[in-house]
Amino acid sequence: MTNQKHQFDASPVLVEDLAPAPRMSLRVKPAHRATLGQALGLDLPTRVGARVAAGGTEALCLGPDEWLIVAPEGTDLAAPARAVYADAPHSLVDISDREITLRLTGPAVLDLLAACCPRNVAAMPVGSAARTVFDSATVILWRDGPTDFRMDIWRSFAPHVGSLLSQVRQEIAAGL
Amino acid sequence: MSRYRIPGKGRVDHSAPVSFTFDGKTYRGLRGDSVASALLANGVHLMGRSFKYHRPRGAVSAGSEEPNALIGTSRGAGRFEPNTRATVQELRAGLVTESQNKWPNLSFDVGAINDRAYMLFSAGFYYKTFMWPKSFWDKIYEPVIRGAAGLGKSPTEPDPDHYASRYLHTDVLIVGAGPAGIAAALSAAQSGADVTLVDENPEMGGSLLSDPAVQIDGKPAWDWVEGQLGRLRAAGVRLMTRTTAIGYYHQNMVGLCQRLTDHLDNPPKGAPRERMWRVRAGQVVLAQGALEKPLVFDGNDRPGVMLASAAQTYLHKYGVKVGNNPAVITSHDSAWYAAFDLSDNGAKVAAIIDTRDSVRPDLAEGARKRGIEVLNGHTVTTTKGRLRVKSVRAAPVRGTHVGTGRSIPCDCLLMSGGWTPSLHLFSHTKGSLAWDGASNTFLPDRKTEECEIAGAGRGLWGYEAVLADGAAAGLRALEGLGRAGHEGRFTVANDRPGTGVSHTELPTDGNAGKARAFIDFQNDVTAKDIRLAVREGMRSIEHVKRYTTNGMATDQGKMSNINGLMIAADALGKQPPQVGLTTFRPPYTPTSFGAFCGYLRGETFQLTRKTPIDPWAEANGAVFEPVAQWRRAWYFPKPGEDMHAAVLRECKATRASLGIFDASTLGKIEVAGPDAVEFMNRMYTNPWTKLAPGRCRYGLLLGEDGFIRDDGVIGRLSPDLFHVTTTTGGAARVLTMMEDYLQTEWPELDVWLTSTTEQWATVALNGPNALTMLKPLVEGVNWDDFPHMSCAECTVAGLPARLFRLSFTGEVGFEVNVPARHGLTLWKALMEAGKPYDICPYGTETMHVLRAEKGYIIVGQDTDGTVTPADAGLEWAIGKAKKDFVGKRSLSRPDIVAKGRKQLVGLLTEDGSLLQEGAQIVLDPNQPKPMKMVGHVTSSYQSTMGHPIAMAVIEGGFDKMGETVFIPMPDGVRKAKITSTVFYDPQNERLKA
Repeated sequence: MTNQKHQFDASPVLVEDLAPAPRMSLRVKPAHRATLGQALGLDLPTRVGARVAAGGTEALCLGPDEWLIVAPEGTDLAAPARAVYADAPHSLVDISDREITLRLTGPAVLDLLAACCPRNVAAMPVGSAARTVFDSATVILWRDGPTDFRMDIWRSFAPHVGSLLSQVRQEIAAGL
Repeated sequence: MSRYRIPGKGRVDHSAPVSFTFDGKTYRGLRGDSVASALLANGVHLMGRSFKYHRPRGAVSAGSEEPNALIGTSRGAGRFEPNTRATVQELRAGLVTESQNKWPNLSFDVGAINDRAYMLFSAGFYYKTFMWPKSFWDKIYEPVIRGAAGLGKSPTEPDPDHYASRYLHTDVLIVGAGPAGIAAALSAAQSGADVTLVDENPEMGGSLLSDPAVQIDGKPAWDWVEGQLGRLRAAGVRLMTRTTAIGYYHQNMVGLCQRLTDHLDNPPKGAPRERMWRVRAGQVVLAQGALEKPLVFDGNDRPGVMLASAAQTYLHKYGVKVGNNPAVITSHDSAWYAAFDLSDNGAKVAAIIDTRDSVRPDLAEGARKRGIEVLNGHTVTTTKGRLRVKSVRAAPVRGTHVGTGRSIPCDCLLMSGGWTPSLHLFSHTKGSLAWDGASNTFLPDRKTEECEIAGAGRGLWGYEAVLADGAAAGLRALEGLGRAGHEGRFTVANDRPGTGVSHTELPTDGNAGKARAFIDFQNDVTAKDIRLAVREGMRSIEHVKRYTTNGMATDQGKMSNINGLMIAADALGKQPPQVGLTTFRPPYTPTSFGAFCGYLRGETFQLTRKTPIDPWAEANGAVFEPVAQWRRAWYFPKPGEDMHAAVLRECKATRASLGIFDASTLGKIEVAGPDAVEFMNRMYTNPWTKLAPGRCRYGLLLGEDGFIRDDGVIGRLSPDLFHVTTTTGGAARVLTMMEDYLQTEWPELDVWLTSTTEQWATVALNGPNALTMLKPLVEGVNWDDFPHMSCAECTVAGLPARLFRLSFTGEVGFEVNVPARHGLTLWKALMEAGKPYDICPYGTETMHVLRAEKGYIIVGQDTDGTVTPADAGLEWAIGKAKKDFVGKRSLSRPDIVAKGRKQLVGLLTEDGSLLQEGAQIVLDPNQPKPMKMVGHVTSSYQSTMGHPIAMAVIEGGFDKMGETVFIPMPDGVRKAKITSTVFYDPQNERLKA
């Protein structure tokens, strides 16, 4: 037995819903990456899993021609992108409502994730992100700190993921 | 305290008594006991009845390989478990246990009549005995055999416990925390490597816990173990007890089952009973040790006959003497130490019977010093005693001659036939084994995974050798990770090295044909059965195994495989490797279904997707049906309504005024880019170039084979942007197919695909009042130019929306898409605005009926992967002028254009009865069976038109309009007329309103 207590304040892991924020899927061929980056004010990273942030807007490279961009409420990314469309054809699709985002924090957060995520989450560098699975749901996992994660889940999968998370939290609280 | 417990001895807590029951009787054990050790401490050896012959049996081992002492355990309702190994189950307060396979009770069992009739139950008896008369098989033999077969009672209640799962990535996983495993962990836990050490037992230390007199680096074994475990813990090594490595899979994935609560008196609330770990290890060190082999002689299964190492474990770990007057029969040095230790703890050892003519002088001296009689070059020919061994008969062997024997009284008999390295996990990797003639065992040979095998698991013996080997293996594992470290060295005093010889059955002067010399205790297989199998033609050990069932019980032959092989090889006159070794399969030891199941039960049994409007449907009494991964509202019954009544009401309300439907599950794909229209032209059969922005079109998607794969209405929002919809079930498949073509066939196109299924919540409005009701809520649409099959970006009820005017019902229809977070708000706003029109929420069943009345197909229901556009009457959807599209070439293949293909038609029954979906159709109901079936019913519903309607695929159906076909059903043959598939409003007047 460990000496973990059932105190709410000392909860080994917290799960919070985050408010929706503008979220865009950007697809553009490598030749036009820089142009788009310039238009959006982001130096779009080229390594899958790498992130870059500027002025509260953050871009995550998900594939050789795919970036996920999260911006503060009220940010208009569509207009600057549209301005370079003729020179740098691309697709910028609003997916703000496709996923919901959970924030997972606390000392036991790696255990929580390891319950259902086959990826070596502990090995993810802080400041990186990855498209992976949680049980059978595709998720994007952002590591913001050693024990601070965000998880984007397709909306309809959220009840299933939420139910799993609550089971695992109870398990962690039981201390075994 | 009982007379078999030695006060103060062992690793049990003598100050903490624990009471439990066995077959209704209360016993006392100690904290730290296993059920078996607690029973033995109470002088109870009889723990069960054997599987086939119902022979009395006791614990033969002290570990997870136990074949005999299988009991039922219970901790209340739903928590009964059959076939728990008494040697593994730790004692906990209030544990209720019972013996199995006995009636009326354990000491007097009627089923034991089987034992008298053993001649009838020889190997393969069920293949021979129950052959005739044939008619007896179903009614008599099989039910009786099934009733008698199986060991233990299955639980009948749902298991209320939780089971957990966990993934783990570790640099080095070490399986087995005996001396080799601990030494390996000490080597591996250097240079910052992440190390995990697991052991199936409650405590780490392995054989050292049963050999406390051994000294390592000047420390007594137990102190050394404690010290090293402390070092490992301090180095950050993950130490996991009660954790069995059950399987070794590809690329160094090892499954671990961790038992968390079965040993606890009061498990914490919410704690899982077991946790399955899926470990991906950089390197694996297998330090599983070796299992002692029984010797094979008549009466070797009597309670009180057990492995010598088990007696040693009971003595040192649990402080239990298994008997006061033990005899020993051995062919290996190790059993001598067990005899010495028992003697040193007050037992009077009756004799050490060794099959070898001479033994090491120090062993002989040890026996002499203790006054133990030694019978070298002897065999054991039989044992006596009904429920407990009372005597053993030993006889001298000279060459092949067995001399006159004599009976030696004893209260237990310890046997050792040598040791078998545990190669189960290694075998899971398909690593090859090599036969070692010197030790008569298989040893690991060629490896297929990044693993090391250390210690007794590869045939080594003696603590110094095993520790050195473990240290070397741990270092190799570390170096395999590209890290460096130094190798630990250990000096051992009071080591217990040993060698032995191997036997088939022990020689006897009795009638070998009557000997009950057991090999597989759990399945009641004797040496005689193996020889019989060979006489009857079995040549491979795999056949011998299946014919005799040797090694096929839940212990997977941990004790019996090598003895069975040796005897089969002897009977065949071959070397053992020529006869082969049976395959080990996961799991290593029996594992609960719950552990495999993990979280996937109850509401998380399977992923269920829910729409944003699902909570409203649930609150409003919807009955749901699963559609792909989704749960969708099927229909909304009002009090007293059955499904039929509810669906008919929903259909009529929609046709009469207004229906509302949650269509959020429709797949949606954003196709964007300068080449979007070119891409659409290539993917779909339809022409897209001339579709103006703001207009929609029904799109048909084929496979390369020309058969229908998917369909859906597609809107062009701008020259470079299409909003594609797919079927609910086809969403992921269609996107994958499109991406495949885009990435592999047409990478030059500037077009990108994004799944927006979940971005939008979609609400469908249908009915003659749909337009009237919706108009006031919409801003940004020019209604003068918004005919059927239009689309627009606008607002609906103040929410940003994509509005489609289309119909899947035949009525005026709209699909309103809003960002998913607003889905429920939109739904409620529409319900409110629809009140004056008696708006009626409807589910998928009504949707199906309404579309069927219009002859709209559902891909996957009316098509089955062999239906072309022409077969479905959809040739109009093909852009004939297009140069190419996916599937175009196939549409001109001879068998695709041939006459007589199955074509989609309507059916109306003559008697107005409802046809069954899937029912087969014939042209002549009087033809001889088997009849020629010309098609089948694909859709069938009660309709709003007062009679049922159906759709069917029928060979040459388009040329048979008006003809009668027949549908033979169990309750009679139905007659139906072939019609058009469009039953309702064939002129599409209602869409134009």
